[in-house]
Amino acid sequence: MDEKVGKFWDRYLTKKASRLFESKQVFFEEKERSLKIFYHLLGGDKAKELHITDKRFIKTSRTILEKFSGKGRSFFLAWQDEKALYFPGALSYFDDKELNSMHYYWLCAMLCEVDIKTDNIIQENKRVVQGLIKKYEGFREFYEKAEKFLLEHYLELSYIDSSISEDLLDDNSYPNPLWIYPCVSGNSKLFDFNDEEEMGRKDGKEDKTEELKMKKKANQIDDEKETDGLLLFLPESLMSFMEQVNVDRQENDSFDEDALYNAAELDEITLGRKDANLSSRVKMDLDISAKDVEDYPLGKGFYRDEWDYRKENYLKKYVRIVPQVAIHVEPMRLPKRLNKMMQKIQTELDLMELDRVKIDNLPYGDEINFDSWIEYKGHKNKSNHPQRFFQSFEKKTRDMSTFLLADISLSTEAGVTQDIRVIDMIKDSLMVFSESLQRLEDKFGIYAFSSIKNKKVNFHIIKNFKERYSDLVRGRIDVMKPGYYTRLGAAIRESSRVLQKQHSQNRLLLILSDGKPNDTDRYDGRYGIEDTKKAIEEVKQKGIVPYCITIDVEAREYLPYLFGRNSYAVIRDAKRLPKVLTQIYMNLTK
Amino acid sequence: MSKTYYLPQSNEVELFKAAASMNLPILIKGPTGCGKTRFIEAMGEELKRDVYTVVCHDDLSAADLVGRHLIDENGTYWQDGPLTKAVRNGGICYLDEIIEARKDTTVILHSLADYRRVLPIDRTGEMIEAHPDFMLVVSYNPGYQNVLKGMKPSTKQRFISLSFNYPAPDIEKKVIIKESGVNEEVAQKLVSIAGEIRRLDDNEIQEAVSTRLLVYAGKLIVKGFDPYQACMHSIVESLSDEQDVLEVLEKLVSLHFGGSKLAK
Repeated sequence: MDEKVGKFWDRYLTKKASRLFESKQVFFEEKERSLKIFYHLLGGDKAKELHITDKRFIKTSRTILEKFSGKGRSFFLAWQDEKALYFPGALSYFDDKELNSMHYYWLCAMLCEVDIKTDNIIQENKRVVQGLIKKYEGFREFYEKAEKFLLEHYLELSYIDSSISEDLLDDNSYPNPLWIYPCVSGNSKLFDFNDEEEMGRKDGKEDKTEELKMKKKANQIDDEKETDGLLLFLPESLMSFMEQVNVDRQENDSFDEDALYNAAELDEITLGRKDANLSSRVKMDLDISAKDVEDYPLGKGFYRDEWDYRKENYLKKYVRIVPQVAIHVEPMRLPKRLNKMMQKIQTELDLMELDRVKIDNLPYGDEINFDSWIEYKGHKNKSNHPQRFFQSFEKKTRDMSTFLLADISLSTEAGVTQDIRVIDMIKDSLMVFSESLQRLEDKFGIYAFSSIKNKKVNFHIIKNFKERYSDLVRGRIDVMKPGYYTRLGAAIRESSRVLQKQHSQNRLLLILSDGKPNDTDRYDGRYGIEDTKKAIEEVKQKGIVPYCITIDVEAREYLPYLFGRNSYAVIRDAKRLPKVLTQIYMNLTK
Repeated sequence: MSKTYYLPQSNEVELFKAAASMNLPILIKGPTGCGKTRFIEAMGEELKRDVYTVVCHDDLSAADLVGRHLIDENGTYWQDGPLTKAVRNGGICYLDEIIEARKDTTVILHSLADYRRVLPIDRTGEMIEAHPDFMLVVSYNPGYQNVLKGMKPSTKQRFISLSFNYPAPDIEKKVIIKESGVNEEVAQKLVSIAGEIRRLDDNEIQEAVSTRLLVYAGKLIVKGFDPYQACMHSIVESLSDEQDVLEVLEKLVSLHFGGSKLAK
């Protein structure tokens, strides 16, 4: 109770002390995508991400109320480093929503131009401001208004009036919200959180909703030596007895809003340096997962070739492929959570079905085709001429077979958010995808694979081409479990064998993956890449079109080499996969 | 008739003339609105040859190109299609967006596009030898990713290829001034807006702004429209239907020309 009262009091005081216009506040989250596009428009680096910044501690003179409430000591400032741009989470300096929103665009444009490595950041800011207002009429209007407003409402900012000399400025001046500030991580005392994020993201996982979405200034303590401190044995290092891995302890299973609130309010967070690296968790899972799957192997398997780039030759009958099908599967209906998405997709599907095609030379039909009738009239020997004068418009039967190959290696176990794993997104994608193709009446098959060296490549049949899409297929999708590795080349070869038997004019091999080809033997790095590339070349020779959809953000480095420039798509946010997969399919076949 | 205005981007005029003199067919690739059609028209005037333009679509049949029988009061008679006309009389036959035509339709071009230069017409049993001034030009936009559409390699490999892109800023500025009559300052702004939009990649925007749209914007401005309004209607709304993208493009235009909600 005490705590609650305290919190209320704190909020009340904070509000009172604040001179910002909270009712006119504009939030970063509303603007994020627009800002990103805007940043690219201005020529910003496309690899950089956009984040929310944490407040920064700056010593300034404060009003009494501000001192009381603890406000006015720290500020949200815009800055950038090599990896990302950092914006304040919300802006409310102005009494007009339009101006606050423009403030974001202004900061974005400033971030494009300001050289962060410069010595005199004030000079640099002033230079860029002049450049922007000269180049853009709209920014000139904004800046004139904004400057005037700030000077009227925030007296400490009087120094931005260009008539005052720069000598009055020092590091503790009230920060100018229109300027860009240097990077904090330049300070050796500070710990760069991004390293950790980066590691977590190697498998394309992004914690967007529930993680604290800001950059924290952190004090780092050295707890790497496990004998430090009072305890001789830290609970975190429990597993180290057996495996020498760090257990991830920063991820709290329950999502606590208060904790987030507290974290946002803290100026600094003290943290241990141990990696909360997801790959360590993956290692532990290795022996546990994929054992109790009820997969029924269909025969002993087939031996297939693999390409060895060093020998420049095939290793004959080197890989064993084991087709399997899940048994004891409960049929299931389309999960309710996907209904809404299906409705949206349905409108797009309807548009596609409008595509109707004219069929000529029919013995009967909707309309007379004058061309063929005149042809007949003009023909001297009428008895030899077929009397097919009709044409009709029918729904296009798309002569198309699609093979969807999903990677369900163990890396898909990784989390997209706290509750959702990559594999869940893959399952949803497969369901939405098959639902859509079913409605389009296109022929398709769905297979999934994982591998344990060359000894066993599990080739799970989810739906073959002959089978009808039914509740049973959905059941099979639902019981898919991640396990083992990604021997992509072998899976592609096997897929193309299946697809080749389809007698459609257009054959599409869609590959859904979450990372590079890899396995525990030498199938890693270059060997795996070269074999996969070879397999894709074979596929193309057979007249099949391969297309890869991946959620691996680093995929741009190797996918163009594997698939060619126009035959892949990288999806940054795995949560969009179900929708995007179907959209990509529709775009590819429109 | 006044001469068609065309400002060369690089060596395309020389290449085209050389190909014309040697009876080689030409394939032009390039994004929409970058001046492909205008180029062909200008070259037709330059070489004093008629241009027969056919815009391809997926219902285009071989008869639409070659010709068909028609009826009048005297009975049936044969009517040449645009391709046959060009083959008989000499001239440039320009097939725009050839990728849209069905693959079996484009196959009839094969014998015309290589050393044989003949057009067989099975309906009349004719075999027409091409006029010395006949020239085949096709164009397409390689921007769309699509499994079902694409040129057969055997068709592609019969052409000299010219790759077009949006003109360089200086050239584009001149084009806009000449075509729409705006002053240099406005043209410069239009070109910088275009340059910025063209930095986006294809997952953000389907296709970047074309020179044609910039000329439209210029024309609206000359007609007396507020530049901001003109750009909104000619550039922004034509490029996307997505709310986020529209918002950013609107911002961009207002930054260059002012006149956004702020100014009011």
